[in-house]
Amino acid sequence: MATPDILGLEVPIGAIEARLRKLWEADQASTKASLINFAVYSESPDALAANTALLAEITRDHSCRALLIGARLDHPDSNARAWITAHCHLAGGRKSVCSEQIAFQLDGKAIGRIRNVVFAHLESDLPVVLWWQGEFSRIFEPRLLGLVDRLIFDSATWGDFAAQYRMFAEALRLLPDRLAVHDLEWTRTYQLRLALAALFDDPAAAARLPDIAQVRIAHHPKHRIAALYLAAWLAERLGWQGGLVLGNLDLRNGSRALRVELAPAESASGPIAALELTTEDAACFAVERDPGTPYYRTRSGPCASPHRGLSPADPDSLVRLVSAQLERAGTNTLFRRILPVFTRLAGTESA
Amino acid sequence: MLLHSAMSPEPAATNPLREGLSSRALPAPCTIVIFGATGDLTHRKLIPALYNIAADGELPPGTAVVGFARRDKSSEGFRSELEAANREHSRQGHQDPVWAEYARHIHYHRSEFEDPEGYRTLGEQLAAIEARRGGPGNRLFYLACAPEYFRPILARIAEAGLNRAPNGGWARVIVEKPFGTDLPSAQRLNAELAATFPEHETYRIDHYLGKETAQNLMVLRFGNAIFEPLWNNRFIDHVQITCSETLGMEGGRGAYYDASGALRDMVQNHLLQLLSLVAMEPPVDLSADGVRDAKINVFRSLRPLVGPEAVARNVVRAQYTAGSIDGRGVPGYREEDRVRPDSMTEPYVALRLHLDNWRWEGVPFYIRMGKRLPKKATEISVHFRKAPGVLFNRMHVEMRENVLVMRIQPDEGISLRMISKIPGANLRMEPVKMDFHYRTSFGKASPEAYERLLLDAMSGDATLFARRDEVETAWRFIDEIEHAWHETAAPPPMAQYPAGSWGPAEADALLAGDGRIWRRL
Repeated sequence: MATPDILGLEVPIGAIEARLRKLWEADQASTKASLINFAVYSESPDALAANTALLAEITRDHSCRALLIGARLDHPDSNARAWITAHCHLAGGRKSVCSEQIAFQLDGKAIGRIRNVVFAHLESDLPVVLWWQGEFSRIFEPRLLGLVDRLIFDSATWGDFAAQYRMFAEALRLLPDRLAVHDLEWTRTYQLRLALAALFDDPAAAARLPDIAQVRIAHHPKHRIAALYLAAWLAERLGWQGGLVLGNLDLRNGSRALRVELAPAESASGPIAALELTTEDAACFAVERDPGTPYYRTRSGPCASPHRGLSPADPDSLVRLVSAQLERAGTNTLFRRILPVFTRLAGTESA
Repeated sequence: MLLHSAMSPEPAATNPLREGLSSRALPAPCTIVIFGATGDLTHRKLIPALYNIAADGELPPGTAVVGFARRDKSSEGFRSELEAANREHSRQGHQDPVWAEYARHIHYHRSEFEDPEGYRTLGEQLAAIEARRGGPGNRLFYLACAPEYFRPILARIAEAGLNRAPNGGWARVIVEKPFGTDLPSAQRLNAELAATFPEHETYRIDHYLGKETAQNLMVLRFGNAIFEPLWNNRFIDHVQITCSETLGMEGGRGAYYDASGALRDMVQNHLLQLLSLVAMEPPVDLSADGVRDAKINVFRSLRPLVGPEAVARNVVRAQYTAGSIDGRGVPGYREEDRVRPDSMTEPYVALRLHLDNWRWEGVPFYIRMGKRLPKKATEISVHFRKAPGVLFNRMHVEMRENVLVMRIQPDEGISLRMISKIPGANLRMEPVKMDFHYRTSFGKASPEAYERLLLDAMSGDATLFARRDEVETAWRFIDEIEHAWHETAAPPPMAQYPAGSWGPAEADALLAGDGRIWRRL
């Protein structure tokens, strides 16, 4: 395997901590900082170099000990290699603050040593965040996740959603509630949910929630799951009943049948181009994003003459998305709570 | 068509979509009327703070700003001025679309502060804005003008009935310091406020309480199990609160400052507020009154300094003489612009305070505040008792104590000084420091204090605002010192220190007499 320079200094796995200490002893000018252990796992061939570049950006806002893991499960040889480096940034224009990074390449049978090799190098007492990139594999199992406080994954990258979701649901069933789980596809809707929720802070607007008769979600073709998450969120929060019937969302708001439309929007610059709730008597509550803009436009009130506003859009770049997720922390119990409804709407029960 | 005209008139409903998204109380749409809208505070702090709230998506839809001031200008001209100020002062930069949306709701209202007609027309403007927005007519009046105008403004607001919000809304007032210049004037101001707004709708702003580290004081004390058991006179030797400034009387501040002084300008409000957060008992809950009840008990426990002798023993006042700051020469206090040549106002004060309560019996609190000191810093340091003089300490008579430091500004953070062995065959020990810096650990900049405080006022959360009894009890304590300085036959002397030094020798002697020294910042 060619070794990209970006990974830093290759070191024997048994000497990682000693070499890191030496690195810091040689640099008296920088400050090492760490709030979390941030493990990033990928089975993609060039993941270590790509993730090093991502970490160089993420560590601007999130000091951490980064543990990058590149795995080649079907590699004929059993190899384990490690590299160390640091990402340093000026804090407040003065002090150089650095996050350590240890990159591991685990091939073949060496991947079986992942728990021992990787998690022996955690900063003690700090939470462990695992960002699992791509599809779950046989390595994704409860014993591994038992070491983790927070799991981040991205269902938008899954090829076979139903199969992957079943693996996730099964792992979740076996794991303690203390594990916070974050699907970046759900994270991509956070600011949109905030913007929509803000439209109902006024008690008079909140009183109209039972009158909603129509839901329209325009989504990028690659982000239908984000649209389904939003539908599940609304259904769970507002007590809408129903599920997927013959490929269509069949939901009821009290005794009223809801017209639910999930429409692909090719031109959407984010995953969701619009989310609009409408009542029978033509009151609209909408959050929309024009292509290329960094904010959502909101409408609320009578559809013909609504009150308008602006709200920050969800981040488009992967770095900003992951940074936003790390910043929010929390237990993300809302996500766990909507999953049963999502399962019904996505039709993954019978998949 | 109005926002809520199509809404059914049902009773207030909660918002189920908020659950799991935000843990803070929600701000309500309102109209913010700023008195003194052409002033520095509005341009540098208030408008950028509201803009940043809007940029974060937390400004409720329909929230409007009405600038009330005496200068003749149009709303358009007012918005242009504010846009220029926002470009300069906004924490997160300036985005034209966000500004355009926010500025649409900014209006200017020209009137003299005393003119009843100006308030009648303000009422019409508010009614029009509220009609467009729909819903409750929430109003937030911000007194950002000189304090001599508070009284006529409050009286005119009441006369015009603007303090009675229509459609089930609320009417609140935010008052900037100074909250009076002594106890009688504070009581008068509070009575005037109370005649117009109920206490629970009155928000006395102290921007120190909006700072991240000030808020973290309670989290540090009551969110960690290790500190509270040590937080008493069994383990703490003394506490120091320092606020040092390099600035003098630049920018014409001399006139205001010379009528005020360090004790009234900083200690009565900011530093006693910090003292209350350090010394208070755990509040019964985190409600506004729960926290403020705990704080007021600290003020009530302050041992009064009655008479010139008691003041002379426990308080040092001083003026700076010519010296240098950052390598450049600066004049003495009495030579500063707009300062009286025979001024007896103190730009420096150091105090030794005692709290007569169970927890703090025998623990002195030393407070110092000074201008033209070597660096700008505000911090609280908690000095623990020294370890017993046996074992290691038998050999090291001058062993230093553990110190927990909470840095309020700049470089916000927390550090703990401990004693550690120096490597080597000999047993030598030195202090080492465990240091936590907000900026190093959290890359993202904290919101400005005004952002947090404005959001709180819009949300009806008064926890970080001073209550009437806090202000008056603090003044009662301060007035005794002011009385000894200015109204007795043999007042305590005014000490001197060269600009750029750490204060007068008398302040060092205040601690030296107790066998202590000021912490070196």
